[in-house]
Amino acid sequence: MRQALAAEWTKLRTVSSAAWLVAAVVGCTVLLGSAMTASVDTSQCPSPASCQEDTVRLVLAGVWVGQVAVVVLAVLAVTNEYDTGMIQTTLAATPRRGTVLLAKAAVVTATVLASGTTAVIGSLAAGRAILPGNGFTEANGYPPLSVTDEPTLRAAGGTVLYLGLVALLGLGLGTAVRDTAGALLGVLTLLYVAPVVAALVGDPAWQARLQKVAPMTAGLAIQATRGLERLPIGPWAGLGVLAAWAGTAMLLGAVVLQVRDA
Amino acid sequence: MGRLLLAEWTKLASVPRWVAAMMAAVVLTVLVGLLGAASSTSDANRYWDFAVGPDGRSVRDDFHLAHRPLAGDGSVTARVASQAGLVGELQDWARAGVILKEGLEPGSRYAAMMVTPGHGVRFQANFADEVAGGGTGARWLRLTRAGSVIDGYESVDGTAWRRVGTVDLAGLPSTVQIGLFVASPDAVQVTRQFGSVGIGGHPTAATATFDNVRVEPAGSPPGASWTDRDVGRPALEGDATERAGGFTVSGSGDLAVVPPEEDVVRLSLTGVLVGLMAVVGLGVLSITSEYKRGMIRTTFAASPRRGRVLAAKALVLGGATFVAGLVACLAAFLLAQPTLRANGYGPPAFPRASLTDGPVLRAVIGSAAVLALVAVLGLAAGAILRRSAGAITAVILLLVLPQLVAAALPVSAGRWLQRLTPSAGFAIQQTVERGLCLPEDGCFPEGPWLGFGVLCAYVAVALAVAFWLLRRRDA
Repeated sequence: MRQALAAEWTKLRTVSSAAWLVAAVVGCTVLLGSAMTASVDTSQCPSPASCQEDTVRLVLAGVWVGQVAVVVLAVLAVTNEYDTGMIQTTLAATPRRGTVLLAKAAVVTATVLASGTTAVIGSLAAGRAILPGNGFTEANGYPPLSVTDEPTLRAAGGTVLYLGLVALLGLGLGTAVRDTAGALLGVLTLLYVAPVVAALVGDPAWQARLQKVAPMTAGLAIQATRGLERLPIGPWAGLGVLAAWAGTAMLLGAVVLQVRDA
Repeated sequence: MGRLLLAEWTKLASVPRWVAAMMAAVVLTVLVGLLGAASSTSDANRYWDFAVGPDGRSVRDDFHLAHRPLAGDGSVTARVASQAGLVGELQDWARAGVILKEGLEPGSRYAAMMVTPGHGVRFQANFADEVAGGGTGARWLRLTRAGSVIDGYESVDGTAWRRVGTVDLAGLPSTVQIGLFVASPDAVQVTRQFGSVGIGGHPTAATATFDNVRVEPAGSPPGASWTDRDVGRPALEGDATERAGGFTVSGSGDLAVVPPEEDVVRLSLTGVLVGLMAVVGLGVLSITSEYKRGMIRTTFAASPRRGRVLAAKALVLGGATFVAGLVACLAAFLLAQPTLRANGYGPPAFPRASLTDGPVLRAVIGSAAVLALVAVLGLAAGAILRRSAGAITAVILLLVLPQLVAAALPVSAGRWLQRLTPSAGFAIQQTVERGLCLPEDGCFPEGPWLGFGVLCAYVAVALAVAFWLLRRRDA
């Protein structure tokens, strides 16, 4: 297993796209989060106190874009091997296919968790700098963002976990589909199209149902720190839904890897 | 060029996976549209209590009216001396002016000349045909009737008159009601709460003073006298008092078409968002797979003029996607409408949508065109980036993400996102003009064509860059 881990780490580390994608996870998350935070201020509300803005979620909204880099990183980690035929070498070196998949999952997830942590810390720092200028001050009922606050910590940590699970979803589907374009389209459809379609459906009950099962809307419930009763699904239950999606994808990938010729 | 097109068509049609992807796009578009229709319900008809306008649309025909009958041809003249808020602030669309109405029941035909604080002088007939006149401020207004033709005039001083609008109300009875009316629509506030847009509204009333009121001929019909009443059901009761040569009228309400709460055409075309994913993949792969397999060198050896190759690819791909998209959108629309009607999206709250209506046809054909454009955008992105992963991700991010982000942003920022990103193209699916256009409802404020133009511009720029890079770089 150690050898397999070392091999996977070398493969990931030595591809230049991986470094770019890690940078993209951090950069896109912090940039979009800051841009969205900067566009919201209390003057758009009836009064600053009645704004009820979930500032933590707003600041962390950059993962909407940042997760795309995670998906690409995870999908390419496996489909690139099928593209280039490298997979045959990999499987010749480590014939136990389950071990290969586990090692890949470990390396990719660790990379994503590390870059996700950086992205979340960067977003929170940017939020701390931007929010008071937009009226979200202590006096208006918005204390400065701090991870010592339990819901904020849950949202921040949960966002990192969310990115890790999205990586597993991508890796699992990539292993099952073995094709970059197909796997990417599959994951992005699951993540993005479900919430857009949910927003267009005319019935609130169906909207809530869709938002409960769609991996992105359910998983990102973990970011909510205010008005939890308004969420279609609780924070940890939502992350659980995403975990179920990721687990299913990984299982599917493992089965296909075992059963099909490489 | 003919042989090039044939070659590209052969490449597209002879790969079973691509044919399957195209079929998948069609099936997904129809299926998601049907699912969306099946999972949407509306009880708007249960609470529907609007008047029906002359053309069958739901209308608000609520205002306070000081009126008297007029037999045969004639005219009514009045000067709107002032307009002020009575309950709440004076609204931009508060209306005060002269009106000639077929009868007093709501929804009946009329022509009116009015002053609005925010939008100047207007001529309006039958809830549509609104023509803008001069600026704001005190105005003389006049309506004349000659047979069934009503003309609306405005004047600054009461001597030099300018015609603003005219309408032919065929079959108008010989005796009609003429009068002075005041309406003031609900004040709508858009505020942000709980991280999204909240809409609040409350009824308002306005008051206007009219002087120099003159009806000609004064004695037609004999014994005609002024009375006042609320027409329709304005939210607040109005009032009118007569002074020497003038009136003070106060009232609430509006004269306007009520747009349906939901765009049933767009609802049935929701599946395009999903079919789009397969189309993006097809567009990108149609060129990146040639790079991957080295086929591109054969292609360029066979036809060294690379610009033509790109053009042929774009034509074949765009054409094939358009045809497939048209089949999908037609099927989605036709299959979803009965389900939607059964789920409460029927007349009168939701007028029947038919393919013979201009906006419906535009939405259906436009959706197919959006699919074709997206395929070509994918092709261009693939030619620029040469990598499937990067190109697919970029195109999908540009098309889908803005719609998500726009809903979470404040209204003004969200609208800019809807204007400036390629996702603006989805505006072509819109068939209903809403009173309050919010990004979170997926409503595009600029109407269907501007957004479509934005998408076209993106495709054109991407193709130009792809063309330039194809010629400059080694294959």
